Amino acid sequence: MPLKGFVRKFKPLEILSDEDIESIHKSTLDVLKETGVIIDHKKALDLFKRSDCIVDYDKKRVRMPEALVECELKRAPSSYRMKARNRAKDLIVGGNTVYFKGAPGFYAADIENNTWETRSFTRKEYYDYVTITDVLENLHLQGPYPIFGFDGIPDCMKIVEGIAAKFRNSSKANYDAGGFDTYFFGIKMAQTLNTEFSAPICASSPLTFYKEQIDIAFALAEAKFPAFTISGCSYGGSGPVTIAGSIVLDNAEVIAGVVLLQLINPGQPVCTIDQTNPLNMKTGSPNFDNIASALHMAAGTQIWRKYGIPHMFAAAGYTNAKKLDIQCGYERGINAIIQALCGANFIMLHGGIYGEYTAHPLAAIIDDDIAGMVGRFIEGVEVNSETIALELIEEVGPAPGFYLNKEHTRKWWEKEQYISKVADDLNYQLWVKEGKKTTIDYAKKRMKEILDNHCVDIPLTQEQDEEIEKILVEARKWYENKDLM
Amino acid sequence: MEELLNDLRNTLSTYDKNEAFRIVRLIIEKGKDPIEVINFLTTKMVDIGNRFAKYELFLPDLVGAGDIMQSILPILESEIKKKGLEVNKLGTVVLGTVQGDIHSIGKDLVNILLKAEGFNVIDLGVDNSASNFIKAVKDYNADILAMSALLTTTANEQKKVIESLVSEGIRHKVKVIVGGGAITEDFAVKIGADGYESTAPGAAKIARNLLKK
Repeated sequence: MPLKGFVRKFKPLEILSDEDIESIHKSTLDVLKETGVIIDHKKALDLFKRSDCIVDYDKKRVRMPEALVECELKRAPSSYRMKARNRAKDLIVGGNTVYFKGAPGFYAADIENNTWETRSFTRKEYYDYVTITDVLENLHLQGPYPIFGFDGIPDCMKIVEGIAAKFRNSSKANYDAGGFDTYFFGIKMAQTLNTEFSAPICASSPLTFYKEQIDIAFALAEAKFPAFTISGCSYGGSGPVTIAGSIVLDNAEVIAGVVLLQLINPGQPVCTIDQTNPLNMKTGSPNFDNIASALHMAAGTQIWRKYGIPHMFAAAGYTNAKKLDIQCGYERGINAIIQALCGANFIMLHGGIYGEYTAHPLAAIIDDDIAGMVGRFIEGVEVNSETIALELIEEVGPAPGFYLNKEHTRKWWEKEQYISKVADDLNYQLWVKEGKKTTIDYAKKRMKEILDNHCVDIPLTQEQDEEIEKILVEARKWYENKDLM
Repeated sequence: MEELLNDLRNTLSTYDKNEAFRIVRLIIEKGKDPIEVINFLTTKMVDIGNRFAKYELFLPDLVGAGDIMQSILPILESEIKKKGLEVNKLGTVVLGTVQGDIHSIGKDLVNILLKAEGFNVIDLGVDNSASNFIKAVKDYNADILAMSALLTTTANEQKKVIESLVSEGIRHKVKVIVGGGAITEDFAVKIGADGYESTAPGAAKIARNLLKK
């Protein structure tokens, strides 16, 4: 049995008309055919050339005929299984299922000293963070890092060490960044453990794929591991400022990645990711979790559902807030619920605080509550003779009728409500009596409980652990030879 | 003339390039000293930069004004040369993103703003090796080397470039400024950079200060 995730039981929210979708689709095809995409990779250019694309080898520009794009979009599977180390935690990607994924940060936010500035993690803190994400029941796919490395290791080893930490302290499906050759070691670790590893193939907006990203596409497709294709344009900066225009650009980039993957490995499992944000016109940074992102991604999700290819919404985990404060809560909550309503298959949420800059396990614990609430909502209202409870209403009758002592109540209340793990849901008097605790206090308590009581359900055997260590040693040598250590 | 100059200055806010061309040509026809025109417009650019820093204006305002400046500067500079005078550039900046890093939006902003301020900018683009930077610094006799790195994995490349400047014996000839998402002031100090800024307008300011112009 794979992880269930949350299954949306009603029609998704649609914000585009059929005409809107057709217009965006046609424009996307035009971009791919007329403007084309830079693919900085000889082997990929040859592949496109053999597939009837117009290839300008000098400019590394590929122009794709409409028929090819349409055909390869249809070839990509609408649903597939993503293996976890614990097969009971496999994911069935696609359809009406929504999974949540971790959101990374380059640094930990210093919550401990209440400065909220950046700090690094020790190795123990890092591994503890992975343990926490392994426990959180509404986090289904391990996201990148989750913090960019820990003290005492060189920068070039930080992602690889993170991948190893996730294989060691978690049995959930493992996704991470693939740049700097990390994909090579992630794939190797997964193959050693007879599981899978996944990574994104990132477009550099506008309309450019650099060599290493294409190397990742080949490596994942050849390993037959699920891949993600991603655009990260900043609309107003590296993409058109309008939502419709940036969707066209974003789609052209992501579709180019999908087409390439299908040409390498027909039927290659792929999930598309929308990680675009409007440019923050005050600072030049992305304007994380701006409502324009939600509109962009809602429209994008609708289009990708039409294409029948799984889609991830990657903005909910990134806010403009620097603290776990009201802004952090409303930006995350609004964006996560919108995407769940719109039919995203993955929502990246857990752990991130500001952009991809800061993150913290306490944020991940609180996010798990947001995910639980959002998930409960999309599971909808079950309507049948038992839930309508007509017989019970007749039995109890008017006042002083009472429902609390009924078997029906005992059976259904936990299914109907969402029981928060860390929200302050006491009444006022109890809140005072319990020391006026906030959600952060409860999250700290849960963090301690997890770390005191949990270890991964399927630990690596000593032999497996040694194999992972050997791959880490190999990676160190690899980076030494590249003069990166 | 004063009215024409004010109209030209206003094009920095209205982003009307054709109007800017028309007015600047008219001003030249009427014999106005092009150096004075540049100085006049520079005060407006500084004002726009200050208002941006106070969040009264936004990036499209700043970049739009910079774009207009960049468009009309060649016309004015050509007039200066016709008079047998030197075009007084603030200095030459070699600019690029370091090896392994393909993020360019911050660097592109710095490029526009440096040019608008009157720097000669050599933009090397993204994913530059240390040898690329060194060659460009030598070839263009750069006053400033400005490097960007968004990723922490690539931040150390900036250190490598500075070490290469030292080993090539040209570190003393060029000021080094660093920026980008992965870079902190502490890091900049640690690797021996001369300046650090987290924002594009700040980078232009630092460049000016470093050359004390």
